Amino acid sequence: MAMRDLVNGGAACAVPGSSSSSNPLGALTNALLGSSSKTQERLKEIPNATPSGPGPQFYSQDQHLGSIPGSELDQPVLQPGAQGADFFRGFRSVDQNGLGAAWDEVQRGGPMPPMGPMYEPVQPTFEGPPQRVLSNFLHSFVESSRGGIPFRPAPVPVLGLSQSDKQCIRDRSSIMARHFFADRGEEFINSQVNALLSSLDIDDGIQARGHMPGRFRELDDYWNESQAVTKPGLHPADSWAAEFDQHQHGMNHGGPDAWVNSFEQQHGVNGWATEFEQGQSQLMSNQMRSTNMQNLAAMEQTRKLAHTLSQDGNPKFQNSRFLQFVSKMSRGELIMDENEVKAGPAPGDWATEYEQQYLGPPSWADQFANEKLARGPEQWADEFASANRQQESAEDQWVNEFSKLNVDDWVDEFAEGPVGGSSADAWANAYDEFLTERSAEKQNSGVYVFSDMNPYVGHPEPMKEGQELFRKGLLSEAALALEAEVMKNPENAEGWRLLGVTHAENDDDQQAIAAMMRAQEADPSNLEVLLALGVSHTNELEQATALKYLYGWLRNHPKYGSIAPPELADSLYHTDIARLFTEASQMNPEDADVHIVLGVLFNLSREFDRAITSFQTALQLKPNDYSLWNKLGATQANSVQSADAISAYQQALDLKPNYVRAWANMGISYANQGMYKESIPYYVRALAMNPKADNAWQYLRLSLSCASRHDLIEACEARNLDLLQKEFPL
Amino acid sequence: MATTQLKSDAIMDMMKQHLSTDAGKELTEKIGLVYQINVAPKKLGFEEVTYIVDLKKGEVTKGKYEGGKVDATFSFKDDDFVKVATGKMNPQIAFIRGAMKIKGSLSAAQKFTPDIFPKPSKL
Repeated sequence: MAMRDLVNGGAACAVPGSSSSSNPLGALTNALLGSSSKTQERLKEIPNATPSGPGPQFYSQDQHLGSIPGSELDQPVLQPGAQGADFFRGFRSVDQNGLGAAWDEVQRGGPMPPMGPMYEPVQPTFEGPPQRVLSNFLHSFVESSRGGIPFRPAPVPVLGLSQSDKQCIRDRSSIMARHFFADRGEEFINSQVNALLSSLDIDDGIQARGHMPGRFRELDDYWNESQAVTKPGLHPADSWAAEFDQHQHGMNHGGPDAWVNSFEQQHGVNGWATEFEQGQSQLMSNQMRSTNMQNLAAMEQTRKLAHTLSQDGNPKFQNSRFLQFVSKMSRGELIMDENEVKAGPAPGDWATEYEQQYLGPPSWADQFANEKLARGPEQWADEFASANRQQESAEDQWVNEFSKLNVDDWVDEFAEGPVGGSSADAWANAYDEFLTERSAEKQNSGVYVFSDMNPYVGHPEPMKEGQELFRKGLLSEAALALEAEVMKNPENAEGWRLLGVTHAENDDDQQAIAAMMRAQEADPSNLEVLLALGVSHTNELEQATALKYLYGWLRNHPKYGSIAPPELADSLYHTDIARLFTEASQMNPEDADVHIVLGVLFNLSREFDRAITSFQTALQLKPNDYSLWNKLGATQANSVQSADAISAYQQALDLKPNYVRAWANMGISYANQGMYKESIPYYVRALAMNPKADNAWQYLRLSLSCASRHDLIEACEARNLDLLQKEFPL
Repeated sequence: MATTQLKSDAIMDMMKQHLSTDAGKELTEKIGLVYQINVAPKKLGFEEVTYIVDLKKGEVTKGKYEGGKVDATFSFKDDDFVKVATGKMNPQIAFIRGAMKIKGSLSAAQKFTPDIFPKPSKL
């Protein structure tokens, strides 16, 4: 799209009875684009937009404006931005001599504006008819694009713009800004435009397309941060100027290098976002002004700057990496084809890649600079925009694609739902979780994970100690003692077995399975171990594996081994095995263990009624087996007989008050009945006894959000048991 | 009942029963949507088993939906579905990781949260 069309809007925007240059935006265009006469000619060739009907006008009537009280503006208005504009104009006026000359001029103190705090109140910029005021104002807006620095809202006199004027300015400036800041993020553009518009008191309808405060907190931060760089009351360009001034007095060298150095000194290496921004702006302004500047030293400096940034561990960087990650994820469509998405490149890699892509090899810039002569700036803008699009600025992509997909809405609503937290936080947290989960998964593949800092290492008799602790019901302590034992005697099957039992009672099936597998290695025919493995795999819904161990139990049993044909082990079918166990139970109806295995088997096939019967039969034979009561309760819970389940769990807990699994199951039963509030204290109790019970933490989180206790989700995330126990005593 | 290979079957069976309880009926009142859930044993899109979780009528069925169009379709691998349904992985992560595909109405998809599924109790 031709820039001129955008700005002039064709004849429709021309002020009646005046040349088009009296249109402030038109004048602006001329100022911007008129530097090359060639460009002017090219521009004229571009067909103007056809004036169709009474389009919106910038100025309804000159007279109208003139009659507004106060618009005569005998009061001068302070406009710091205008200083910057002057400064930049000074720059452009020496364009032909290149940056070096500009530098010299600055050194000489030629067009150097006074320092911000020393402003004279008399500033002619905003005097005169409103039209000129507006013109100057818009000028300063555009000038801010040159610097690539956030445009700061500034007080302007009442201009008496009509609604359609405002509409027009709003629309045009949004489009223009997209050209000027084609290399910037969408949010930057929006904030620029918003800053302009808010100064002009135009606000309606902007929210719909623009920057939405509070929506993405980090974008706000970004905006604030970029704002914060400029000293209050000082236009960014002025602070540069101030910097130059300091150099003039203090430093003994000049030239672009010093300029860049001073940049680094001023901003440090931390605020990467701003720095990167400004680094970009340097690159940009260099390109814009370096028509015949051969020296690319400044650009090299920028590249170095980016290098520094890449080594910076600033969280902003992490965030952006996240943004890019999300952008990559959402690029294609809502639907992912890959099963798993690989983590993005490391921050350093990313930065380098970004740098390469973005800053490009010097030849690119060279070429660009050469071509620039032959091309109109308006084309340059277009080209830059399109080239930029190819290179995919992370923020840009993210914002664009996200808004396209409406995924943010989804996140918002999720945040209102049981997941909790603000949307941006939720994503960030989710990503963190994702990373931790990934690293956790690596450790967690059937390999037993020993605790760090085990106080029982070096204990003279850890096995005995472990058994004693287990008997007392101190499960987490017992686990530590037993770990010490199996570290000392890795072949101690009973040590491993008891450790496995401890973990199962502590509601940690992964560790239970890992320990039991070691026990089975040491003693392959231990029936208790085989049964425990069958139960744990049932809990993990791993049917085939569970079946294998339960069948192993039968085969290794001294009484029933004979009825288990070995060839069956190759193709295990649940029905066959259930039939064999039923046969065994008929052989010896007084053997509680057979009934227990049958109960587990029927759980596997989700024949819960039969499972309940089996467990009840077993309980008649072994009424004091707390784990059996829990098995009965869990089966009843899984077949939605929650009330019965709770009384079974209660039996188990009466027999073994520290039975973490039963406490957690109790919570599950309440939660499954929709009684989330009631479930919370049970989860908390379970966790107080075993803070490593990950399932319980996840269920607790769900219950907290379903019970609208979002205030404590943070405590849950931080695993702050003290707070949770205080809040939810049982 | 024959042995099934998918862990998701266990969840779906429980869900079926769960929907007959008061808590389940509350769900149908609260959500009132029909979800299709495709579960693949190993690789997304391969050998998928289709479940219809009908939170209008309060039913869980296997196979294609007969009642017209579902409100949203989700595709998972077996393990990932279990993780989401049991609250081990939240749907956002699942989506970010590409562990969950979504088709259909977005507003319907937004109501698909881990708390609609009953949690399995442990023996």
